[in-house]
Amino acid sequence: MTVSATSATVAFCGARDGEAALTWGQRHVWRALRLHGPGQYFLNCPWVLPVYARRDLGAVLTALRALIERHESLRTTFADPADGPVQRVARSGELTVLLEQAKQERPLELAERLAARMSEEIFAPEDWPLRCRVVVKDGRPCALALAFSHLAVDHEALGLLSADWRRLQRGEDLPPASWQPMDQTELEATEPFQARSARSIRYWQPVLDDVPLDVFGHPPGRPEDPRFIEVAMESAALGIAVGQLAKRWGVSTSSVLLAAWATTLAAVSDRQQAVMLLVHSNRRDPRTRAMVGTVGQDSLFALDLGDTRGGTDFAAACRAAERAALLAYRNTQYDPFAMWAVREETGRRRGREPDLNAFFNDRLGSGRPDLSRSAPDANVPGLTGKTRTYASNSWPSIHIRVMFTVGTMAGASELSLIVDTAYLPRDIATSMLLGIEALIVRSLTEDIPIAAVPQVCGIAAYRGHRL
Amino acid sequence: MTAPAGDVRSMLADMIADASDGEVSAAQALAGDHSLTALGLTSLALIRLIDAIEDTFGVDLGPDMLSYDRFDALASHLAELLSA
Repeated sequence: MTVSATSATVAFCGARDGEAALTWGQRHVWRALRLHGPGQYFLNCPWVLPVYARRDLGAVLTALRALIERHESLRTTFADPADGPVQRVARSGELTVLLEQAKQERPLELAERLAARMSEEIFAPEDWPLRCRVVVKDGRPCALALAFSHLAVDHEALGLLSADWRRLQRGEDLPPASWQPMDQTELEATEPFQARSARSIRYWQPVLDDVPLDVFGHPPGRPEDPRFIEVAMESAALGIAVGQLAKRWGVSTSSVLLAAWATTLAAVSDRQQAVMLLVHSNRRDPRTRAMVGTVGQDSLFALDLGDTRGGTDFAAACRAAERAALLAYRNTQYDPFAMWAVREETGRRRGREPDLNAFFNDRLGSGRPDLSRSAPDANVPGLTGKTRTYASNSWPSIHIRVMFTVGTMAGASELSLIVDTAYLPRDIATSMLLGIEALIVRSLTEDIPIAAVPQVCGIAAYRGHRL
Repeated sequence: MTAPAGDVRSMLADMIADASDGEVSAAQALAGDHSLTALGLTSLALIRLIDAIEDTFGVDLGPDMLSYDRFDALASHLAELLSA
């Protein structure tokens, strides 16, 4: 390890090296990176690891070295030879880490800003899959600001790295992780996994044959610049209401949010069916639960609201969404390259591939804290007065039509909607977020028929930009 | 694979405890007083459970996963598949 006034070099040496085909999770991201093109930095993962106690720079860099040595994913590069892309695990190497002085700014805020900025640059396949800066204040290291390639980590892996980081700072020695992406590649080549892949593809095929070819039926209009925007909503009422409805109806909180998003999307797109991809953590095999890597894949979800329009209500839609999501999640273990071949073949048969770029991304899934417990007697409708919406991000080019994301802040729910403004303008996106809150909060006190969803949500079918 | 019915129920209960990371104990599952969801089995844990059952017993449980939400129904369904 060498250290200067402005940078340090972390030399690492892990237990093994090797080369293998990509895991299914890596294949999923590999393909997504290509689809996003110049906007692929959208998939990068910013992260901050705080330094919890007074540690000197040497101790912090030693812990970083231990993290890289423990997880092969953090010392893996990629290549694309003629017979298909491969992961290459290096046993040893060096990572250069810049030191950033926090002057007036709070160290963690600076670290978050640096992590976000580092994430705006594309990772080349041959790059180390992480970038790191150490934030220093008054001579003391306070945090690591990191940006990871999505080929190296997913949301769950970031949580695992934080847990390891806490243990390393307590002085624990951590052995090499017992299950690494190269082990996963080997497992996925076995017969049971190939059979699961075939079964998932059998589930997808008839859905692909049946779904609308476009997310929205209208042609694109003049977009904003940048074209892709994200609007967000922070709502204390929503978190409480979702928890109460989930308990009342015997479904998960994720299902309530999924059904609300699906019915709202169906209303705006004037369809009787909501079709989307669910971003799924996919850590269902016990061996992947502690693996730092990228495991997530997309689940194909279709909810038919046609037969609910006559008489059933939002509660029925939540139960139907739960059943459909379980089926979709179950069929999310597949070789993405084989699945893309099927999608392309479907495209040849139908004239073009169905556009499946509507997404539901529940970052917390079943791990969501139940906010209804913290405020059992809250006046939930009254809390909606505190709800706020705001613009949160924009990108010139990403491969998304619409993506609904659920997170949780301290004491509140945060929803966000990324839209392609060529298809959906900003004001409609904001109305959809507020409409989801209205639908869920109103459902606490009355049954909402599916036919009444547009009126309750304050939205209407959108058929393109007005001329 | 064949196993006595009592062994299958016991193995199944252990699998539920594993799939739920201990959120649902084997004893709670075996008691069968509540649905597995009511006991705290999440959707991800249910899918883990189905994978484990299919890998261990070499069966295909079929698509109707919500019908497995009661321990007795799941154990009966599995017993039928194993005896077929």
